[in-house]
Amino acid sequence: MTARLHVDLTALTANLDRVRATVAPAGLMLVVKDDAYGHGLEAVVRTAAAAGVDWFGAFDVRTGAGVRAVVGGGPRIFAWIAASREDLDTAIAADLDLGIGDADLLEELGDAAHAAGATVRVHLKIDTGLHRNGVRPEQWPAFVRRAAELQAHGAIDVVGVWSHIAEASDAEDDDARAVFEWALGEAAAAGIQVSVRHLAASAASFARPEFRYDMVRVGAFCYGIRSAGGPSAGELGLRPIARLEADVTAVGADAVQIGIGALDGLPTSLGGGKVRVGTPAGGLRLRDVGTSRAVVDAWPQAAVGESVTVFGPGTRGEGSSTDLAELIGTIGEEIAVRVSPLVPRVHSH
Amino acid sequence: MSTPGSGPRSAPVAHISRSALSANAGAARARGIHFFSSLILEADAWGHGAELVRSVLAAEALTPGGHGDGPTLEAAELFGVGHASATPALRLTGTVLSVKDLRAGEGVSYGFAFRAPADTRVALVTGGYAQGIVRALGGAVDVAIAGERHPIVGRVAMDVCVVEVRDAVVRRGDEALFLGDPALGEPSLADWVRATGLVPSELITMVGLRSIREEAP
Repeated sequence: MTARLHVDLTALTANLDRVRATVAPAGLMLVVKDDAYGHGLEAVVRTAAAAGVDWFGAFDVRTGAGVRAVVGGGPRIFAWIAASREDLDTAIAADLDLGIGDADLLEELGDAAHAAGATVRVHLKIDTGLHRNGVRPEQWPAFVRRAAELQAHGAIDVVGVWSHIAEASDAEDDDARAVFEWALGEAAAAGIQVSVRHLAASAASFARPEFRYDMVRVGAFCYGIRSAGGPSAGELGLRPIARLEADVTAVGADAVQIGIGALDGLPTSLGGGKVRVGTPAGGLRLRDVGTSRAVVDAWPQAAVGESVTVFGPGTRGEGSSTDLAELIGTIGEEIAVRVSPLVPRVHSH
Repeated sequence: MSTPGSGPRSAPVAHISRSALSANAGAARARGIHFFSSLILEADAWGHGAELVRSVLAAEALTPGGHGDGPTLEAAELFGVGHASATPALRLTGTVLSVKDLRAGEGVSYGFAFRAPADTRVALVTGGYAQGIVRALGGAVDVAIAGERHPIVGRVAMDVCVVEVRDAVVRRGDEALFLGDPALGEPSLADWVRATGLVPSELITMVGLRSIREEAP
């Protein structure tokens, strides 16, 4: 394997600036789950914190505690998956904000907070139609009343109400937002005043101003990953911060072999000539993805050790992760996070 | 209270069975094979952990093979993926995070790729495409909970997926089996190959590298 993932932290900072300018006065929560979408958690979190990002979205408690270890006290870290009492105890110790979208989990958290003598900052999740986690509307009034009781006992401090939208269509997202508005009203009626209402992720944060509320949760756009079927990164004012490269390992008559393959996270379905990769001679066809090697059309005077860009910002004729994804019916995030953790991450400013 | 590392986890767990690796290697040894393919140790032994795999190969007296060394043990047989008689060495499990009602006509997950034809119940399970549970598996394969199969419905998300459990008794904290032993009727990698068009090596390697990995007996 001769591959590495170059991550341009200056481009990350520029994207963060662009996202914040777009969503202001709403704030930004930078989503850093799954090793910051494969870009390297520690370098991404440090760069973002230095750029003034003060909210991080971590998915689970395990990741949230890892972010806390990098940034220390100060920034708020939001985790919305706790699988066990052990997770809740860890979250309390790491001073995380917790997303709670299940009545049983709310009770477990109340017990954990009581045992620790802590008051835990909580964001209550309403299910506005995605039907993953989140409390169904018919159960919401009882849920927020119970949360208000736990708040009165000092176990929790309800600071937020939030949801995920499906992005199936604008009309369905509007329906989801109507449920969200209703849920905010029910929370207020239960005596809960929240300061952080959050609903939108990348796409809606740019396209639907009324979905921004107090804060947006953005991962993909901060890494320069555009939505499949959506506007280009350039149109959004963003730039892909990662570039996956591999070196030439052998040169044949009309093709070269590069040191990256399916075991390194490059899907075999990208073979067959539909993808163009970046070479010293510009964009050329990716012919085949093998187990640990891939084959690319040769260019004049191609030599072992020269580099090929599999995906990146496009400067050598390569496509973005989303460009590749669209050719095989998926999304840029999946291409990004499939890059093997054994492929070195090389960070530069 | 669960002991650290043994309770429900927020990410899927890849359990690597030393005994299955030993049995697969031993079966090859019994056929007179003395060498193993160098491909076996690539990508941290296809996500199974090179240290464990090396120790199993050494215990079975298998040595690295080169060209002309004679028959070699291939990765597919050692790991039990895409091989007719070998037992899979990797079992992939997730955790049920919550269970909820879903009414007729309601959609699930991004894009509402699944809509419930009738009232039902769904479970949110840890494991998504960032852990190698490929996005294309949504609506295409089953998981098993307490031995009973249930389909993944809607789009697989980055870290979670939704499983339709209907009226089965399923609770928060239950284990969901993504990949087991097809000889026991469990969901297996062959289903994933059919659903995704990807090859066994890339599917199993990403799962092993991106999940919480634990050695099983």
